[in-house]
Amino acid sequence: MARRRLRLPSPARLGLRLRITIAFAASTALLAALLAGTTWGLTRENLLNQREAAAIRQANLNSIVMSSLVDADARDEPIREALGNLATPTGARPIVEVRQAGGGWRSIPLLPTVGAAAIPDALRRSVTNGEAARMRVDIDGEPELVVGIPVNDGAAAYYEVVSLTELERTLSSLAVSLVGGSVVTTLVGGTLGYWLSRRTLRPLANVSLAAEAIAGGRLDTRLEGVEDPDLNVLVSSFNHMAQALEDRIDRDGRFASDVSHELRSPLMTLAASVSVLASRRGEMPDDPARAAVDLMEADVNRFQQLVDDLLEISRFDAGVARLSLEEVRLPELVRQAVRQHRGDRPDVPVELDADLAGMVVRADKRRLVRILDNLLGNADAYGGGPARVAIESGGPEVLIAVEDDGPGVPAEERHRIFERFSRGPGAGRLTGGDGVGLGLALVAEHARLHGGRVWVEDRPEGRPGARFVVALPVLPA
Amino acid sequence: MATRILTVEDDERIRTAVKLALEDEGWSVDEAATGEEALGRFAQAPTDVVLIDIMLPGLDGFEVCRSIRRMSDVPIIMVTAREDTHDIVAGLEAGADDYLTKPFAPKELSARIRALLRRVRTTDATHLVFGDLEIVPEENVVRRAGHEVHLTKTEFRLLLELATSPGRVLSREVLLERVWGHGYFADGRLVDVHVRRLRMKVEADPASPRHVMTVRGLGYKLQA
Repeated sequence: MARRRLRLPSPARLGLRLRITIAFAASTALLAALLAGTTWGLTRENLLNQREAAAIRQANLNSIVMSSLVDADARDEPIREALGNLATPTGARPIVEVRQAGGGWRSIPLLPTVGAAAIPDALRRSVTNGEAARMRVDIDGEPELVVGIPVNDGAAAYYEVVSLTELERTLSSLAVSLVGGSVVTTLVGGTLGYWLSRRTLRPLANVSLAAEAIAGGRLDTRLEGVEDPDLNVLVSSFNHMAQALEDRIDRDGRFASDVSHELRSPLMTLAASVSVLASRRGEMPDDPARAAVDLMEADVNRFQQLVDDLLEISRFDAGVARLSLEEVRLPELVRQAVRQHRGDRPDVPVELDADLAGMVVRADKRRLVRILDNLLGNADAYGGGPARVAIESGGPEVLIAVEDDGPGVPAEERHRIFERFSRGPGAGRLTGGDGVGLGLALVAEHARLHGGRVWVEDRPEGRPGARFVVALPVLPA
Repeated sequence: MATRILTVEDDERIRTAVKLALEDEGWSVDEAATGEEALGRFAQAPTDVVLIDIMLPGLDGFEVCRSIRRMSDVPIIMVTAREDTHDIVAGLEAGADDYLTKPFAPKELSARIRALLRRVRTTDATHLVFGDLEIVPEENVVRRAGHEVHLTKTEFRLLLELATSPGRVLSREVLLERVWGHGYFADGRLVDVHVRRLRMKVEADPASPRHVMTVRGLGYKLQA
């Protein structure tokens, strides 16, 4: 059956969480930049205006002071002296210009470095025309404000060059603060976005956890309902899917149990009838009849074993296999299982580490016996019979090993050998009641149900043969 | 007189085959196809052992088992199609002495029947006393606080095993062998459910037993 895959709508180059985080960071950055820009612009305008107003006020006062001193005949020295005595805002450098009889101007600056050249022509034109004016200029790379005021009806002019450097420094440190603030805000925005995205996506994480749980066999896993109507759609369709899956697996499990009943009834009739025939074996007229009864008896047993194994494995598949735990004295159980399996044949030694002699574990006795039976049966069928059984401690686990003197299992087959209906080397031959092909698969399933595992390896110390090991966790008894 | 076994089984073929096999083993067999028929036959003719399939149409195996238990302490063997824990425990709690899963070997069934019909083993003691509990093996009588308590044969045998090893812990495996004649790998729940049933009868408060004690991981013991 072709699998249908739904494509989720997503550009998918970046993760959803990363994209949400980036969107948050970008929006906060934009907002912060906008706010910072506006703040800086408004503050700058405001500070400059204040500064200009103050400078103009001061220059007006100073020009009135100077008006009594300046006329065409006045000498430079007293004027310069008066300029030095003027109250000027910090860094203001005054210049007085006096109109000369030929229409030219005589400049009298307080400082020789800031003279007529500092006054822009446009400003001078306004003042010459009788209008007070101001202008921002750069002198030697420093920002300055030049204020010009006509004095004595245009007979003279008073100028002040006011430094704006301090103001610019204030503004640039404000700019630094604002940029810093914006960066911090952006980071906070990004973090918030990350946190929010985790919160928002948590239901998705829950969905994937639940899906994992279901895949792991916990079929009754469901998602809790949420308030969010958008997410509730996801939750309810997920739960619906899980329910449908569970129902279906239940049906399969019931099917196995129905098949069980259906198969076991005719088997029961067969087993009882064959036993009547077998008890009359001695009265049979000839060898073929006796051979036929023997064959029938053996194969009814094998049939029964096969049905049992199939049912057992279908219970694993349906996820309805449950451990029935009880306290088990492991060494005794292993010895008894080996003895029962061997029957009239010579016993096989069970060796155990000295500290394990009285070991009690919580385990499913029936399943442990099935594990041992199947491993011993496998050794009979493919390893020339079990050579040694050992119980060893392996840290948190206890190891049960069944060794044989057979040809061993080649490395490439060691994994496959635990699959269903896989037979060992020399496959195809069925010996006695063995060789059904589910034995080792069931060993693996029983071990897994106990939280343990099973593998096959070479026998230690270079001895020929295979060593099958079942490792079971030691549950506190 | 031959031992009479009543088999209750709705599948005619199985019933016939099991009857053939059991008669081959020397038992005489009565048959019933339904629970109602089984109760009728049980009331009419003396029966030594009852074999009940749990899956019966109409009156189910558990109900038949409970009804017979109310009338008699005849040994009952339940037959279940599944190794389903729930069915087995429910069957034992309904009063069955033992169980088999289908399909079983007729020889196995015969062995179980023989074990259930064994005479209670004799002891030298004529009178065993554990506090308010009094056992008279000769007369198959148990008294609690002077009043006679009615036990099934299996329950009596279980109590007697514990009573003849006073204070000693008997493992499930040992009890399975001595009381039921089972091997080492028999189902320990057989012991657990019978101990539960026994406590209902011989303990003043079955929930906190004073005589039939569980020893975790080891088994059971009887004390005064």
